[in-house]
Amino acid sequence: MRDFLDDRPLKLRRDRSGDRHYWRVAALAVGLALISLLLIILDRQGIVAPARLAVREAVQPLAGWLTERRAMIESWWATPRDVAALQSRIAELEAENARLNSEVLRLEQARVENIFLRQQLAITRTYPWRILGAEVMVRAPDAARRVLTIARGVEDGVQVGMAVIGQQPGGPPALIGVVESVGPRTADVLMITDISSQLSVRVLQADGAPLGLMQGQWQRGSRLRLELIDRNVTMREGERVVTAGLSGALDLPLDLAAMPAAVPIGAIETVQQEGQRQIGAIRPFVDPDQVRYVWVILSQDE
Amino acid sequence: MGDSQPRRIEERLARELGLALVLLALALVQVTLLTGLAGFSVPILLVLAIARALVGAGTAEPVRGLMRGLWWAFYGGLALDVLGTMPLGSHAIAHLLAVAIVGLAARRFAVERPLVPLLAVAVGTVIYEGTLALIALPAIEDWRMYGLVVVAPSVLLALIPTLPAVAIVHRLVRADG
Repeated sequence: MRDFLDDRPLKLRRDRSGDRHYWRVAALAVGLALISLLLIILDRQGIVAPARLAVREAVQPLAGWLTERRAMIESWWATPRDVAALQSRIAELEAENARLNSEVLRLEQARVENIFLRQQLAITRTYPWRILGAEVMVRAPDAARRVLTIARGVEDGVQVGMAVIGQQPGGPPALIGVVESVGPRTADVLMITDISSQLSVRVLQADGAPLGLMQGQWQRGSRLRLELIDRNVTMREGERVVTAGLSGALDLPLDLAAMPAAVPIGAIETVQQEGQRQIGAIRPFVDPDQVRYVWVILSQDE
Repeated sequence: MGDSQPRRIEERLARELGLALVLLALALVQVTLLTGLAGFSVPILLVLAIARALVGAGTAEPVRGLMRGLWWAFYGGLALDVLGTMPLGSHAIAHLLAVAIVGLAARRFAVERPLVPLLAVAVGTVIYEGTLALIALPAIEDWRMYGLVVVAPSVLLALIPTLPAVAIVHRLVRADG
């Protein structure tokens, strides 16, 4: 480097009698500036472009290598280097991860709630019911009874005997059970498929709606069993079954008086003849074991 | 005796070529390693040329010292032009104007005082950036905004290596003398 500094050794001590012809400096500056101007003109005319391109091509590998080194230096600079800094960074990322997970969960809950509220809105537009949405908290752990617990209770206006409905995609809202017991903030719902569940129902036929008795059959390996009161009436596969609401209609002092009439249940899947009796197997519109969110019918508009 | 003059010319040419290559290498460093800070690069070649002129102006032969600074400015500017996208000669003329004006204006001040090179580099960078703007953007209207967005950050970046650059050039010149 020092060889390029000058062609002659310089005297660092100021010597007032030295060269004072600064016009030479100005002249050189003007001369070199003129050369530069000439180069600008020539370059704009494309005359020196090939030479310039050749030099650039020659230094391109070195330029690329240096740029890579710069990227490595930047990466190294941005990386925490000591254990404490790394641990601090990990703690930051874990905290952020936890916060984001919580946010995702909250958004997912909001999405699900939105779906259920839309379903509820559709139900109340179609049916004359006042309903209350409830999340299914737990299901009975044993197979002896088909019961689920919902997150609504007396404080929400839930009473024993009220109908609980559910809805599956593409199907109508349908009965899944009846409130069996109520706590302040929870309620147990006996599923219609439980063997101890018995309800008066009507079969919707073209010329009438004969009464029948529906009983749960889950513990017997089936789902719902239907037997008509009037043995002269014939029931056919595909006919729909709804609640009769007899207790309420007759104003009987029973828990089931709260059960409204005409709540969809299911459709007759098969019909068997047992002596003089016809026994129908009902396929419920909603599988009570599949629901995650239900609605309690609090009342029915007259 | 007859061989001394041709050898002298060859030596001078070799020296100039060597200087140009060293400055080309430094230009590569400037456009690769010293770039990236919000799109700016540290104008190390301008700083070195100004430092060379200032140190040269403080010697017993100030005219020759200043002229060496001009050559450094010219070679460094051409090196940047080769690697850059502006017309060949743009950086050279910007370097020359900055070094010539600052070198002549500051020639009577002692370069050993830190404020002198810092002020010289600051003023030189303003001239350099202004000249480049006139070449690249002749129709520019909002000079105030250009000064804030382009010139001021460039000046700050140029000031960072100024004192080390002056110290290194000073040391080299002294060692050479």
